[in-house]
Amino acid sequence: MDKMLLGRYINGESLIHHLDPRGKLFLSFYFIVIVFLCNNWETYVLMAAMVMLFVKLSDISLGFFIKGVRPLIWLILFTVLLQIFFSSGGQVFWHFGPFTITDQGLINGVFVFCRFVLIIFMSTLLTLTTTPIEISDGLESLLKPLTKIKVPVYEIALMLSIALRFVPTLMDETTKIMNAQRARGVNFGEGNLLKQIKSVIPLLIPLFVSSFNRAEDLATAMEARGYHGGEGRTKYREQEWRKNDTLAVILFIALTGALIFLRN
Amino acid sequence: MVKSIHIEKLNYVYQSGTPFSRRALTDVSLDIKTGSYTAIIGHTGSGKSTLLQHLNGLLKPTSGSLTVAGNHITSETKNKELNELRHHVGFVFQFPEAQLFEETVLKDIAFAPKNFGKSDEEAEQVAAKMATLVGLPDSVLDSSPFELSGGQMRRVAIAGVLAMEPQILVLDEPTAGLDPKGRLEMMEMFEQLHQEQHLTIILVTHQMNDVANYADHVVVMENGGLIANSTPERVFSDPDWLHKHHLGLPQTTAFAAKLAKQGVPFETLPLTEKQLAEKLAELMPQSGGELHG
Repeated sequence: MDKMLLGRYINGESLIHHLDPRGKLFLSFYFIVIVFLCNNWETYVLMAAMVMLFVKLSDISLGFFIKGVRPLIWLILFTVLLQIFFSSGGQVFWHFGPFTITDQGLINGVFVFCRFVLIIFMSTLLTLTTTPIEISDGLESLLKPLTKIKVPVYEIALMLSIALRFVPTLMDETTKIMNAQRARGVNFGEGNLLKQIKSVIPLLIPLFVSSFNRAEDLATAMEARGYHGGEGRTKYREQEWRKNDTLAVILFIALTGALIFLRN
Repeated sequence: MVKSIHIEKLNYVYQSGTPFSRRALTDVSLDIKTGSYTAIIGHTGSGKSTLLQHLNGLLKPTSGSLTVAGNHITSETKNKELNELRHHVGFVFQFPEAQLFEETVLKDIAFAPKNFGKSDEEAEQVAAKMATLVGLPDSVLDSSPFELSGGQMRRVAIAGVLAMEPQILVLDEPTAGLDPKGRLEMMEMFEQLHQEQHLTIILVTHQMNDVANYADHVVVMENGGLIANSTPERVFSDPDWLHKHHLGLPQTTAFAAKLAKQGVPFETLPLTEKQLAEKLAELMPQSGGELHG
């Protein structure tokens, strides 16, 4: 479980760490959109250079980003293979039934791979340099306009931050209960499928019970301290838009311009 | 001397071989006699829980070995062999009520014996017996364990461990979160099990009074190693040493230590109220008149 990189924050004082989470969130999404503008070597090289620059600026070793790719590697390979075998056009190298390998297909495969890696690096950069609380605060203020059409933005942000907060707690709880049931003779991960499914019950029921109890305690504690929804609530962590954030946005606008210029 | 547990040069490292590796136990060697009542004391993070988890194979040693109830365990031991060991070692975790999950109290208590190969009928017989033993009224056996009070839930969980009919009972702060009355009843119940069924008991606790009242052996842990392995009399006879390691005295002993400072000549510091009363009675002058004389 320690290998889980999702939502894992690495403390740091870099330029990227200090950017406004609203800007980081928005630009990460924007990056995913403009990755799809790339359609030739020049554009991909430009995007890759940008990402490497951000990685460098974040002061986090490249290894952490590569680890972020690992859990998705099968999905990526599957998509790449689809591209390679089913693309048409260009010179045909190999042909069998519905499968064709063409030079165009191979190039597309490489492009799809690059696209995945770029997107994963960028979203890993977001979670590595932004605390979960900052992300949910940022999301809350980005979504704020939606309150006008009755979207419960505050509640969504609260749910998100509570969920993120309790991931480690729940993992600890799982280990404890697994140990207790092991001591009572349950063998997790052994025996046939039916046995394994059955062995999950003594784990899941106590987990549900303790989660509900915890939720109730949390609700009581919040009410006791006067929580009554997001309306009129002020924040301890003020988000501040600085010069660097504006510069980052300008950089991305320039990047978009360059991509449109370079693409075929 | 019959040894129930024999631990030799046990080392344990969490996440061994990764950058996050953390040493939890260093060269722990320890023997525990069959039928003894051993208390393990020490601060949070001193390695108590890690040591306990070795006793029923939840963790395997990084190096060194241990023999528990005739099962020899090293880093090479296969997971399948550990099941046999777990049958003999009952483990009451901290806040054990978190392990309850069945529809009825009786079924929950019968869960462990069923896992260890008893038939449904046999298991429920044992379960009913253990429910009485821990002081649960028959009327609750068919209700859901989640309808009970906190204290009763804990009894159900403990009965669920006892139903395995273990030779060794490991208790990790079994009275945490109970009121004083519940605490006393619980400790008396373990004492009764110890006396009547000759269970080997290993108790982890922060309550020095419990150590003084029940244990016949004390192990003190610090930073993953043993710093004392002796009798309660010995360990509690040196308040300065205990103070140095940030450990307290039992109430009675603390009181006697104060008396000793005032000049009351104790040969050894008494551990229990009864011992203290007897000592004081001995030291008292026979007739009332001489007291002021």
